Amino acid sequence: MGKRTIIPFGPQHPVLPEPVHLDLVIEDEKVVEAIPSIGFIHRGLEKLVEKKEYPEMVYVIERICGICSFGHGWGYCAAAEGAMGVEIPDRAEFLRTIWHELSRVHSHLLWLGLLADGFGFESLFNHCWRVRETILDIFEETTGGRVIFSVCKVGGVRKDVDADTLKRIADTLENIKAEIKTLCDVFLEDVSVKNRLVGVGYLSKQDAIDLCTVGPMARASGINQDLRYNGHGKYLEVGFTPCVEEQGDCYARCKVRIDEIFESIGIIQRCIEAIPEGAIDVPVKGKFTGEFITRMEQPRGEAVYYAKAFDPGKETNYLERMRVRTPTNMNIPAMVKTLQGCDLADVPMLVLTIDPCISCTER
Amino acid sequence: MAVFKMAKVVLNRLFQKPATLMYPVVPREWTERTRGHIDIDVDQCIKCGICARKCPTNAITVDRDASTWEIQRMQCIQCGCCAEVCPKKCLSMAPEYTTPNTIKVVDKFDIPVKEKPAPKAAPADGAASGEDGLKCNAEECVYCGLCAKTCPVGAITVDRGEKKWEVDKDACVQCGACVDKCPKKCLSL
Amino acid sequence: MSEKKYAIQDIQNIAASELLERVRKLKEDGYRLAQACAMNREYGQDLLYSFDKDHILLNLKVKVNEGEEVESITGEYWPAFIYENEMHDLFGIKFLHNALDYNGNFFVTAEPTPWNPKK
Repeated sequence: MGKRTIIPFGPQHPVLPEPVHLDLVIEDEKVVEAIPSIGFIHRGLEKLVEKKEYPEMVYVIERICGICSFGHGWGYCAAAEGAMGVEIPDRAEFLRTIWHELSRVHSHLLWLGLLADGFGFESLFNHCWRVRETILDIFEETTGGRVIFSVCKVGGVRKDVDADTLKRIADTLENIKAEIKTLCDVFLEDVSVKNRLVGVGYLSKQDAIDLCTVGPMARASGINQDLRYNGHGKYLEVGFTPCVEEQGDCYARCKVRIDEIFESIGIIQRCIEAIPEGAIDVPVKGKFTGEFITRMEQPRGEAVYYAKAFDPGKETNYLERMRVRTPTNMNIPAMVKTLQGCDLADVPMLVLTIDPCISCTER
Repeated sequence: MAVFKMAKVVLNRLFQKPATLMYPVVPREWTERTRGHIDIDVDQCIKCGICARKCPTNAITVDRDASTWEIQRMQCIQCGCCAEVCPKKCLSMAPEYTTPNTIKVVDKFDIPVKEKPAPKAAPADGAASGEDGLKCNAEECVYCGLCAKTCPVGAITVDRGEKKWEVDKDACVQCGACVDKCPKKCLSL
Repeated sequence: MSEKKYAIQDIQNIAASELLERVRKLKEDGYRLAQACAMNREYGQDLLYSFDKDHILLNLKVKVNEGEEVESITGEYWPAFIYENEMHDLFGIKFLHNALDYNGNFFVTAEPTPWNPKK
């Protein structure tokens, strides 16, 4: 048995994408055990419900994370609307679905860029982000912000998008599909990339079920779990197919996310064809009542949102408790399991493969 | 054995113009809806203070005695909440971002003092004024008249001698200033 | 298949002593742990555990008095260590037989149990 050393990895490290700390127990270049440690950017945002009334709380919740920002805003609004029993108009639901799927495309392009940066392929990283700029321009044109949209509110959405702009969005997405396909071919076919991804970080289906993994991490190990089936948004109306792979290694997770980009572009185009005319919001007045728990399929996996008002008779404009459980929170045990037995050089790959978003995890 | 897959992309981009902009020499083009900064039309402002109350980051301060409206530019998160709730629609969102600076910029605007409009003849209804809008709890009210003095649009009439409290529902902008001022906490929106 | 599965709100109130038994049964039935959180009440805390099967949530609300110790479910669901350490660091709830216990060092906070301050 070789000598064991403990190497601290993070939160500051040139290759690490997120501020997570890992204590790696190394035995001759192989990682034997990994102990995670988070808490470096805990802001306690959930406690701000005591200070901000429920219509203003959405601005706090959507700033939990920059990449999954719209998902959090939608989740909070859905939980608040469910608790108060508010039905929002169809057009608002379609617009929210379109923005969320655009969020998914931009998040996966961002992740592909970071993955390329993780194994040293700088030019591929920059090209992925260049293509992502087209999506950010769409966001700025329709909502006013590139990263934080502030367009979801309790009761609907705040801005409408006219038919010409929607048609232009559909055409733009059709045009960038060819560019995305060329970049994704590099990920999936190039021999130097495949050497870094195939066979690395294997997670079997039984392990994925025991560790309660969510999102593309679970779908790459053969579990058909996609929260878009639970009826939120307009996914079931326009139809979609979840992307599932069987191999369970880094290559499979990369392939799942690439397939999801093209699937999302298809969903957006179908939504644009099916969107009805109508109002985009309903007025919501009065104190906050009720209790509701709901879930969203974010780019990284399943996110749980729970909103609770004060007991009946003591209701106010403030929530009593708001809980956001983000997907990375659930995938950290899976990351720890895949790290056991890997090479030291593969550690950044494996940390990136769960698509970590530590600012979501710690709120 | 697929090698040099990236070569096609690199060669294509070699003969195209760069994707980046020579900022700040070449200025950025904003879109119509870009949320850059807040502009105020001082002639319309009635200093009701709803924007200051609703601002999620408390970036706006409304001083009614000094008649000023100030905004801390670096605290503002450009959400547009104030522009939506302003009853006179004097706040609007303009596309240019605040220029980066080494000090925290605070912009102060002087609101021209206007004549308060004379309170209109109140409707026949007594203290109760329907489901929506301002309500006064007649048992608690002492008819001190503070709410009428605080009201920026002069919508409340209080008669101490006759023990009457009335609100003009058309003039009331539901800013909530009277609710905060009432010493007996008998007003509610 | 356009039922609104997310609208199904199934929240069951149970006592802290029944928690481990219920969780064992849920694990046998094939449920997956979704989340666990805590909230402050007058008598102490309420813990909310959510389990998912076929995209429908089942929630267990556990009433915990101030200072009472709760059985950890890491024996059945190992990933629960994240939530239990977080609840311990922020609210001060003690869990027995936690498989991966950080002893208060999971979230390094400026004051102990900031969301449930000891008066």
